[in-house]
Amino acid sequence: MTVETDSDLQAAAEWDAGELGCGDLVLELRLRIAELDSGQILHLQARDLGAPEDLPAWCRVTGHGLVRATPPDYWIRKKS
Amino acid sequence: MPGRFVVCLTCAKDDTDRATVAFVVANAALGSEKETVVFLSIEGVHLSQQGYAEGIHEAGFAPLADLMGNFAKGGGKIYVCAPCFKKRALDEHNLIPGAVVVGGAKLVEFMGDACPSVSY
Repeated sequence: MTVETDSDLQAAAEWDAGELGCGDLVLELRLRIAELDSGQILHLQARDLGAPEDLPAWCRVTGHGLVRATPPDYWIRKKS
Repeated sequence: MPGRFVVCLTCAKDDTDRATVAFVVANAALGSEKETVVFLSIEGVHLSQQGYAEGIHEAGFAPLADLMGNFAKGGGKIYVCAPCFKKRALDEHNLIPGAVVVGGAKLVEFMGDACPSVSY
């Protein structure tokens, strides 16, 4: 994963998903990412126990970029 | 013959026969050089806790704890359904070796577009 500096982490949108997890989390995440333009970043907070495994997996599967993951914070860049 | 294999297990002490056979099959997959995941969900998540499987010994099979231990030693992975785990208020600090709490996305990634699986 490419390490980006803090200046690269300008989020176009923020979402505190709280305890949302599993299918509920990624389904809502899909909708939130869809609202962004390509290359824009969503700053997500997710406290579900499975999120540290799920969100990187979701990014690998969907092709969106996981810019940084410091649970419970995640920065996801919408793919081109 | 490389590849992946998933064993889904929804039982624990509520059906020790199914729980035992699931790990027998998982070990067969591992022994066949498959990258193998046991996905514990529903009541099956209890098996993610250290000590839980002790004393479960179906006639004609190895003790479940031995089967699970061999699975972990062989490099098998155990995915534990996060919402099922949370519902039962289990202890994330008491997980058995090889177990990791995950949501559905992790399983979807592992299974990819084509992955054989069996369910117990």
